[in-house]
This record gives sequence, C-alpha cells and structure tokens, in this order.
Amino acid sequence: MKVTVKFWSYFRDLTECDETSLEVNEGETLGDVHSKVMAKFPELAEMKNSTLKAVGVNYQMDEFVLSDGDEVSLFPPVQGG
Amino acid sequence: MKTQLTLTPNPINETPPEMSDGMGAVVVFHGVVRDTEDGKSIRAIDYEANEAMARHQFELIFDAIEKQWPVESIRLVHRVGEVAVNEASLRVEVIAPHRAEAFAACQFLIDEMKLKVPIWKRALH
Repeated sequence: MKVTVKFWSYFRDLTECDETSLEVNEGETLGDVHSKVMAKFPELAEMKNSTLKAVGVNYQMDEFVLSDGDEVSLFPPVQGG
Repeated sequence: MKTQLTLTPNPINETPPEMSDGMGAVVVFHGVVRDTEDGKSIRAIDYEANEAMARHQFELIFDAIEKQWPVESIRLVHRVGEVAVNEASLRVEVIAPHRAEAFAACQFLIDEMKLKVPIWKRALH
C-alpha cells in the first residue's frame, strides 16, 4: 500500500519538501509511518514528542491503522489567532 | 446554531451582526498582530493553514459549543497569508441570549482553536 505524508509549517523547511510517499504494509500504523518518516528525515526526530499527526482532516493516535491512499499530515504545535 | 467560517488573505471588514429578538449579547473578539515576537521587532506575521483540516476542526469546535451553550450564531474570520502589525488576524463574533454564555463560548472557541486548528505563523522581520 502507499500513503502520502504531508509536512506543514517549519517541518517543510526541515524536510525541504512538501510531501513524500511511503510504501506501508498491511496493518501498519500511524506510529509506524512516523518512525519511517523520521528515519528518512532525521531532522524531524528532535520534534518527535511534540509532532501532531492527522489522517485526512482528523487527528489520530499512533495506533491508528492506515489504509491504501491515506493522506497523513505531520506538523508542529498549532499557532492560530 | 448558525455558523459562518472564513479563511481569507483579505483584510477583515466588520459587518453588523444579524440576530433574532431573543438575543441579548454579542461578543466580538479581535486578535491583532503585535509588533514583537519572542522579544524581537517584526513587521508582519505570515499565517499558513491546512485549510481542509482547519475547516473541519473549526466545525468540531462549533459542534461542541452548540452542545454546551445556547448560542444563536458564530461568525469567525481568520486571515491567512501576510498580516501586518496592528491588523486583525482573527475576528470572532458570538451571539447568545446572555453575556455569560457568549463570553464563555468565545473563550472556549479561541482556546480550542489554539490547541487544535492547524494554522501556523511565521514572523516577518
């Protein structure tokens, strides 16, 4: 299966790209994908504990099991207002 | 409850509230860009939104407000893109029968926004 991972705010500066595609196995979770992304982009590892994660338009926990075509978003704490 | 949500690069222009006869409180909050950020002088803030997710998260907050307070309407405008110092980046208008629920709902909305709505800022010097 393939999922798209989008980066927002200064995460985009750290990865020097807007998004990346990852191959994931059946049953793999959002946490698994986050680990794969940090392996691919070590610059994100420092923000591991403060990274917010969403699939589509909803926040999800690390245990969320991904499906083919899911769009994952990774971003730093939000700052609206 | 009626809601109106706008994410826009344009300046926020106020329009008079529409409200029914039973409503006695209109709370309006403007968030304005300050001239310093982290102790340094700035000229503007550049706001970025994950727009689809931001809209969805705002709708979830509106739903939570509707369950908790008898609010008639909420109108919210958040700027995206560059907003100069002294300009409003956020306008929230909450209309309710009494001031207590209007203030409480407005406070709740902004607190929740700052935790959940994917909008980020970048100071421009």
